Formats: sequence, C-alpha cells, structure tokens
Amino acid sequence: MADTADTQASEGNERDTVAYIYGIVPADVESDPEARGIGDPPSEIAVVRHGDIAALVSHISPDKPIGKPEDLTAHAQVLDATAGVAPVLPLRFGAVVSDEDAVTSELLAEHHDEFASALRELDGKAEYVVKGRYDEQAVLKEILQESEDAARLREAVKEKPEDAARNDRIALGELINNAIAAKREVDTRKAVEKLGELGVTVNVREPTHERDAVYVACLAEVARQSDLEKVVGELANAWEGRVHMRLLGPLAAYDFVVTKQPQE
Amino acid sequence: MTTAVQPAGGGGGGFDRPSSSSLADVIDTILDKGLVIDAYVRVSLVGIELLTIDARIVVASVDTYLRFAEAVNRLDISDNEQKGLPDLIQDMNEGGAKSRTKGALEAAGDKLKDFLAEPADEGDREPVNRGRRRKDED
Repeated sequence: MADTADTQASEGNERDTVAYIYGIVPADVESDPEARGIGDPPSEIAVVRHGDIAALVSHISPDKPIGKPEDLTAHAQVLDATAGVAPVLPLRFGAVVSDEDAVTSELLAEHHDEFASALRELDGKAEYVVKGRYDEQAVLKEILQESEDAARLREAVKEKPEDAARNDRIALGELINNAIAAKREVDTRKAVEKLGELGVTVNVREPTHERDAVYVACLAEVARQSDLEKVVGELANAWEGRVHMRLLGPLAAYDFVVTKQPQE
Repeated sequence: MTTAVQPAGGGGGGFDRPSSSSLADVIDTILDKGLVIDAYVRVSLVGIELLTIDARIVVASVDTYLRFAEAVNRLDISDNEQKGLPDLIQDMNEGGAKSRTKGALEAAGDKLKDFLAEPADEGDREPVNRGRRRKDED
C-alpha cells in the first residue's frame, strides 16, 4: 500500500493532499457547496467527472489517520444525501488515491461502462434499512412463558447464591439468546415476506445486537417510499410494545452494489 | 380517524424515522459494504492510516448470557398472565381509536388493574421516545 504516485503529482494538485473517494455518481450530479466531508476541519466535496460518470471526492492530508466517528458519519452523509436524488455507487470507507488525475484515469476512465451501467440499474432507486429491536422486558416475558426450561432455570438461579448459580445463569442466558435467535428468524421472515409483497429487493443483514429482531436492507423506488413506510408502520403496529422499529433511508445502495458483480 | 390500520407514525405502533443514520448504523454499513477500491485502482492507491474501529457488538458471548440472566432476574413477571387486556385498552386509548364500547372496556380495565400489584406499564409505551434506545448500540 505504498504511495507510488508521489512523483507524478500533476499541476494543480497539491502534493500535500490526496484524493479521498466517497462514491460514483452520474456526471450531471452537482455538489452542494455547503456539504462537508471527512477530515478536521471537514473537507469540501468536489465532483470529478469523466464521460457520463463522476466521483465524489475530498482532498485530505495523507498524514492524518482517518476513521474518527465524524469521518464515518460524514462519509455516509455525503453518499446518502445524494441517494435521495440520484443513483450512487458507494465505496467502502477509506478509499484514497494520489490525486484527481488518478481518479479520472484509473478509476473512472478504465471502468466507465461498468459503472455507468450499474448507475442506470440503480436509477430511481435507493436503499432503505429496516431495523427492529426487541423490547427487553417484553421478549424476556415471552420466553419465560413459552419455555418451561427457562422458567425452571430462573427459579434455580433465584434460589442459589450468585457464585453457585453461575452455571445456571449461563445456561439461562444461553437459552434466552437461542430463543431470541429463533424469534428473530421468524420475525425476519415475516418482515421479508411483507416487504417482498412490495416488489422490493431485500438483503437480510447479520444481526449486530443481541436483541435485533429484524435487520434488513431493501432496494426500493424512491418514488414509492410511502409504500415502504406503510409496511413498516404495519409491522410496528403488529409488534407494538414488543419490537421497536426504525426505518432509515433513502441511503446509498451499500448492500446492493458489489465489486465485480453489479446488481443482477 | 377511524381507519383500522394506521400507517407510518400514527396510532400506537409508531416507528422511528430518523433523518440521518446514527454512528452505529453507519458502522454497520460503510466498513464492510460497498465497492472495494483495490479492485479498480492499483497504481495510484494510497495507504492512509485507518483508526481502529471496534464498535461491533459480539453476539452470543458468555457476557451476553450473563447479562440476559441478570435481566431475567430483575424482571417482575407478577403481572404476566393478565397483561393482555389492560395493554390492549391502553393501546386503544392512545391510538385515538374511539369505539362505542370504550366505556365498557375501560371499566374492565380498571377492574383488572385493581388486581394487579402495579399500575399498567406506562413507562414502556412512549413511541416518541424510542430514539433514546439508539444509545444502546454505541
């Protein structure tokens, strides 16, 4: 990962900056002069164009490490702000090349047709993330009602001193964890089914929290966002008090843009 | 407001609709998804130091189990069997669903509440406050 292009820095590009790339968009996308990206102070966003496509880029110092919370949210915000109005191919966080020339010649020119066709497929669509989290009290009560083993272990834990009950506690916790995993599977299937009725493409994400009930990304028409909101509202109604639902989006299509294998 | 199914935001089954992603959402999304620059650019690639990000929650460790066990221990399940009806009534009241039988149902709810050791769990039913749960993920 050496900086091999140092000696070729061209005119107009400062040698003490490198080009951070957020993602790829159609060439007619304009950058919002108010928008700010990663870095401290937050950097401006430039649109580097080639043919029908362009890259959203910031000039940053090569010497400062990146990845602070503000950098991560800035990366997402730059892409997501675009996703509502134009298709965008998001790059994974941390993509840096030597300068704007490299963005044009190596990234955009060499892969122009591939990127342009992926952008056409995404036209009018954006990613939405549906997240449901079990209410702790509600789901524990549910499990204790449904599982005799859980209720029995709960009594065992209660009766013994804390040290002696350690194994029972672990067994109880594991049982609960497994019961939640089983519920997650059922509830995720229900959500995927309901979302599927809208004709949206769904990607089930790995849970990242032990009480995750549903964690899926969908690729949906931005114009039909209200249909999606309706379905999530129906799920929230059906699971009132049991699962807390969130809907994020429009977002860049992180889950549906894959290297070497553009969607479909 | 008499429709049976209440979409986005209305009724008791509200959901969070944040205008931007939280840090936890972002971490789940931008670190291992999206296009990989190395696959497209080789010559001009610049290695820049990435701060270590270790915010992911490990699912299913012994710590998780012990935390669940502790939560079960704290749980008050005295109102387990009879939780259904008062909840239902509260949902209907909060959802603004007016019904001719409301009076009767409320009366039934009051009776049930008399049997319960504690009042119906008001604290759990604040859809507007759900945003605070996001801090769980940090």
